[in-house]
Amino acid sequence: MTLSTMRWIGAMALGCALAMSAFGQEQGVAIKQDDVKAEPFKDAKTLGVIKKGEAVSILKKQGGWLEIKGSQAAGWVRVLSVRKGAGGGSAASELAGVAGVATGRAGTGQVVSTTGVRGLGEEDLKGAKYNEEELKMAEAAAIAAEEAKQFAVNGELAARQVSWLPVPRTTTSAGAR
Amino acid sequence: MNKRIIAFGTIAFVSLCAVAVFLPVANADSLRDRLKDLLDRAKPTQQAPQTAPATAPAPQDKEFKIPPIGNVPLEDEIRLGRQISGNLLGAAPLVKDDKLQHYVNRVGRWVALQSDRPDLKWTFGVIQSEDLNAFAAPGGYVFITRGLYAKMKDEAELAGVLGHEIAHVQQRHHLKVLQKSQLLNIGASILKKQLAKGESGVQKIIGSGAEVLSRGLDKDAEFEADRLGVVLAARAGYDAWGLPSVLQEISALSASDSSVGMLFKTHPHPDERLSRLSDAMGDRLDALKASDNGKGRFYKLAAK
Repeated sequence: MTLSTMRWIGAMALGCALAMSAFGQEQGVAIKQDDVKAEPFKDAKTLGVIKKGEAVSILKKQGGWLEIKGSQAAGWVRVLSVRKGAGGGSAASELAGVAGVATGRAGTGQVVSTTGVRGLGEEDLKGAKYNEEELKMAEAAAIAAEEAKQFAVNGELAARQVSWLPVPRTTTSAGAR
Repeated sequence: MNKRIIAFGTIAFVSLCAVAVFLPVANADSLRDRLKDLLDRAKPTQQAPQTAPATAPAPQDKEFKIPPIGNVPLEDEIRLGRQISGNLLGAAPLVKDDKLQHYVNRVGRWVALQSDRPDLKWTFGVIQSEDLNAFAAPGGYVFITRGLYAKMKDEAELAGVLGHEIAHVQQRHHLKVLQKSQLLNIGASILKKQLAKGESGVQKIIGSGAEVLSRGLDKDAEFEADRLGVVLAARAGYDAWGLPSVLQEISALSASDSSVGMLFKTHPHPDERLSRLSDAMGDRLDALKASDNGKGRFYKLAAK
């Protein structure tokens, strides 16, 4: 298959993904198994489960919870159990991913963007020339702690005590694509 | 010896020099030992601070811990950070929108005030690139691309992303890379010589342009920055789910999408980051009061 064919498939796949998400309801995929709860609380009644890789419709978000409709149950699951994006097994994004790998260009940051805007890939960074003027401009925009505190007050944000999170002991590996 | 190793080595020089300034080390071996020593001693220093009602105390963190701030001269850290940032801005200058830059600096500074290094002269910027990426450089420099900013929906998401970058600076994650590099045993005097040369010397240390930013840190450093970033945003009064929400958006993009090429190359897959965060967060942050996230003042980008 030629390079241009692969690109064409990739573009079609992306187009499909866009079309699917255009149907109003947001689609998602479970990235781990999770209980589906009747309400957005840990102790709420469990109505069923979503399985890793299962396609779900996302209805609503509330704090750390998403209201979803899965293939077997509808209710609330933890926000972090689902990633957004269309499809299950033959997800358009996976197709596009395959095309990207086939061209040998996935992840290089060197693929020419369809919109023609400048990227910021490895070569761009490597070849970058020091720009003192821009740096000084950036530094001039830095603000004092006092101003930041006032900004927080204006937005009704109060600092609160929260402990650092521990390193998780058991790690569930995500569905690698 | 390949170029990459040389580059790593040269970075190693700079940080080692920082240590060497305070330690009268005669040779490379003892320098390495001293550094290890410093790093080891620093391990127990990061315990959960005050126990908040909303969260369980963090168990002993087995990951690499930074030495106390006093052990690395801030001056050298900032010189390095300025050079890297100046190079990055050479590749992608600031978006010329003063209101945007001011807004991002206020959110960023407020989040950084919740970190272990509240007194750095934190500098934030949005740069002209439609790629989705964010960068941190030593000394308190944080940049996000316009493309990533455009993906965000509210101030909590911005706070979470900036929190992740602030965490890299707080933890001095570059030091970890250096510790792992095999070239720690090259004499510190060479490094001193480089630094004495001023700008050109510093540039030699960081390699070509801003390539240091294209190499990425190791996975554990990224997972750690995710965990810390979530907490920093929550401490600043935002919803803790801002960073996860951005990761979910990115996750829906394919690795072949050029706008996330570098991000996917230099970070673990967003699905894996989400999964790790999910394990780390559990129900620990459930009790936090819901936030208005700055009351809908999120700055809207002007149409391009």
